[in-house]
Amino acid sequence: MNTLDSSYFNWLKSAVGIAFKIVILAVFIFPFLWMISTSLQTFRETLAFPPTWIPAVPQWGNFAEAMRAGPFLTYAKNSLIITVSIIVIQFAVMIPAAYAFAKYRFALKNVLFGLVLLAFMIPGQITFIPVYLMMADMDLIHTLWPQIIPFMSNAFGIFLLRQYFMQIPEEIIEAARLDNAGEWKLVRKIMIPMAKPALATIALFSFVSHWNEYFWPLVMTNSASIRPLTLGISMLRETEGISNWHIIMAGNVVLVIPILIVYLFCSKQIVKAFVYSGIK
Amino acid sequence: MNRKPIWEALRPYVLIAPAMAGIGMFVVYPVIYLVYLSFHKYNLMNKAKSKFIGWDNFTQLLTRGDFYKALGNTAVYTLGVVVLTMLLSLLIAVWLNKKTRFNAVVQAGIFTPHIVSIVSVAFVWMWLMEPDQGVLNFVLRSLGIPASDWLQSSKTAMISVIIVSVWQSIGYYALIIVAALQSISPSIYEAAALDNASRFKVFTKITLPLISPQLFFILIIMTIGSFKVFDTVKIMTGGGPNGATDTLVYYIYGFRTTNIGYSAATSVVLMLIIGLLTFVYFRLLARKVHYQ
Amino acid sequence: MASIQFVDVSKTFDKQAVIRDLNLTIEDGKFTVLVGPSGCGKTTLLRMIAGIGPHTSGRVLIDGKDVSRIPPGQRGVAMVFQNYAIYPTMSVRENIEFGLKNNKVPKAERKRLIESICETVGLAEYLDRKPSDLSGGQRQRVALARAMVKKPSVFLMDEPLSNLDAKLRVQMRIELIELHKKLGTTFVYVTHDQVEAMSMADTIVLMNKGEIQQEAAPEAIYHQPNNLFTAQFIGVPPMNIGELGTEGARFGFRPEHAVLSRQLPPESALHYQTRGTIITREMLGSETIYQIRSGSDSFMVKSAEDLYRVDEEVFLGVDASKLHFFGGDERRLESSDPRAAGYLELLRRRP
Repeated sequence: MNTLDSSYFNWLKSAVGIAFKIVILAVFIFPFLWMISTSLQTFRETLAFPPTWIPAVPQWGNFAEAMRAGPFLTYAKNSLIITVSIIVIQFAVMIPAAYAFAKYRFALKNVLFGLVLLAFMIPGQITFIPVYLMMADMDLIHTLWPQIIPFMSNAFGIFLLRQYFMQIPEEIIEAARLDNAGEWKLVRKIMIPMAKPALATIALFSFVSHWNEYFWPLVMTNSASIRPLTLGISMLRETEGISNWHIIMAGNVVLVIPILIVYLFCSKQIVKAFVYSGIK
Repeated sequence: MNRKPIWEALRPYVLIAPAMAGIGMFVVYPVIYLVYLSFHKYNLMNKAKSKFIGWDNFTQLLTRGDFYKALGNTAVYTLGVVVLTMLLSLLIAVWLNKKTRFNAVVQAGIFTPHIVSIVSVAFVWMWLMEPDQGVLNFVLRSLGIPASDWLQSSKTAMISVIIVSVWQSIGYYALIIVAALQSISPSIYEAAALDNASRFKVFTKITLPLISPQLFFILIIMTIGSFKVFDTVKIMTGGGPNGATDTLVYYIYGFRTTNIGYSAATSVVLMLIIGLLTFVYFRLLARKVHYQ
Repeated sequence: MASIQFVDVSKTFDKQAVIRDLNLTIEDGKFTVLVGPSGCGKTTLLRMIAGIGPHTSGRVLIDGKDVSRIPPGQRGVAMVFQNYAIYPTMSVRENIEFGLKNNKVPKAERKRLIESICETVGLAEYLDRKPSDLSGGQRQRVALARAMVKKPSVFLMDEPLSNLDAKLRVQMRIELIELHKKLGTTFVYVTHDQVEAMSMADTIVLMNKGEIQQEAAPEAIYHQPNNLFTAQFIGVPPMNIGELGTEGARFGFRPEHAVLSRQLPPESALHYQTRGTIITREMLGSETIYQIRSGSDSFMVKSAEDLYRVDEEVFLGVDASKLHFFGGDERRLESSDPRAAGYLELLRRRP
């Protein structure tokens, strides 16, 4: 009898808990569903009150209209070029630096590493004016470079990777040296494979944050040909009119869907990457 | 014969050279140049015509009402975001901390906004907060609560922006706290149960002290992050209505072409604020982090 | 002080039965050691007593009272955890005080108790330290003090010595025996180390795969093992076992009960005799352990003298009274069992 009682109580408790959790989940997921729903509505449907939850006939044309509002193919191409270039350059710069900071002793090491940490602290919101002036001086302002090259040194990445390299036991490195492995081979065959989780974390982190970047392109670009997707979408409101929510949402879906698809397939890794970056 | 040792001595510097060059060019130099600019009246058309004006930019800054307004708005925004995010993410984390499949799904769900572009987040919320056709007012009215003007009234614009920021970041901070909670050994809780500790006591005397380093980390990260708020403001309110959501970075942004020297001076002030927060963080961290 | 009873207790983890219909009585005031290989369910039993891993069905009684619905903190039990589970953010004093505070013990009383306990376990000068500043042995003492201060009627210990180095472990073993003598409360101690079990227990409860194999005093468990498992779990090296070649029966003898000689001893002197070659020799100082191969069997022999060398041919003999027989069901046969006499005869006639 007693056990029956408590099992009923437990069942009730977990049912209430689950219901509550579903409500919380809805608060975070509903806006995205609403975005998708709106992107398929007619202008009339968006004006209805109470709101139209599910459009009568999905208006796929909204996407075409949103895409006609600007050179979106160029925007998407720019976003892709910028994001991929940043990740490639960052890796090329970061791995040797992290290795040196982790495994060598040299004069001024602490000062130099302090500079890396400093770079970690200083946001683009502070440096953008001087960097813009510098880019203008170098006559690069009409190219994609101002959106790529300032991110060449990923301070967070160097920091994280150095931690990882430092954890690799000295014995493994010594064993490799005894096996007559050169420095380059050592990095390629031992350090990099062992630091794979960290590298994946950094790549994911870089991808998500640069694909979503808004502030930097806003202050670095003056012409449509070098704008990334985020800026293009953000300008929809000006080009399409502030009340054309169905078109704006259609553009929004185009911006969000790639990230959401990636997230759907590797949410575990992405979550881990972000949480890890927060704890370390 | 002598070549190898020289190469070995140089090698670390060669390896870090590209990284240091990047940092020098895009962090160190800009910071120095920013300070330089803040003492000048900069002429964008003709650099040669720029002139040194001493502390003028700063005195102007400290006597202008709109600067204080932006600073105050930023402080209000920061306070709101930090307090709300902290409380809610702690609550959600404690609640989702058990390792079950359903909890993992909920965690992934509440984390989603964090990886989506701020542009999308801002747009979706502007649409939800639309006073006439927006879903939020529809919900309020259905519940018999008077509708709000959200972003379009100077009274509610700031809280609306805060809500959006909190919504976007809760998932991230909740997960950091969950990770911290899960790193606590279960036997500590069992020992507490044997010590006849109430749930409240377990939370205040054991759980909270044990995750306090992470909470503190979050606090600082959030504070610094909030002080440089820009994107939501730019997209959702443009600093309005009536300057109600004008924040420091938006203020800097506003003068970036018209008065570069003045803009730079404001940036220097922002940098000092962030620097001070970071300094306080590391000082306190050094004192707190020494256990286990 | 209290006795503990398990009545038809079962426990399932994720729908897997770990313990099924177990019955056991732990006597009041005794030092009882639950021992067995990892995963045998010994810690599960201990956690049931504490109430931190409740049983799925059946009853657990402390002092005759069913405690199934009593929360851990109100059962009058205290526990020392394997990893000590000291509250890392509290000082030594706060750690010990925490349970007292929760039980609303007045402040003056708390102070007195803490000071007297710390005197006993030798922590007096560390009261205001944080656990991170203490050595492993000191943390262990904090865990002990924290348990003792509550004056529990049952003392539970989950492998409390496994994180200490060998020397300290032996010392703590003696201290725990003395502590038990002094307090006179019921001690339930879990370990996978049979030496620890033998040296400390009044009663050993030997478990395997969720079942009790034998419950007896150390002497009894050593000399009259219930079954093959017990015979081979207790003792270093464990009991030698050989096939009898009939009905799946086996014979066994302890390594120290075998006598080695270079010449075949007179016919009648020893009951079981065989010839073999020494494969390994471990000189441990006070004794030497030989491994001897004889046909397909391999026996360990413990000898007080160090007379033989590797590869030497020796004769091995065991007295009839030192031989154990196990039936096809792996249970040991009493010497009164008619089958035992038959097996004894069988063994004598073996070449």
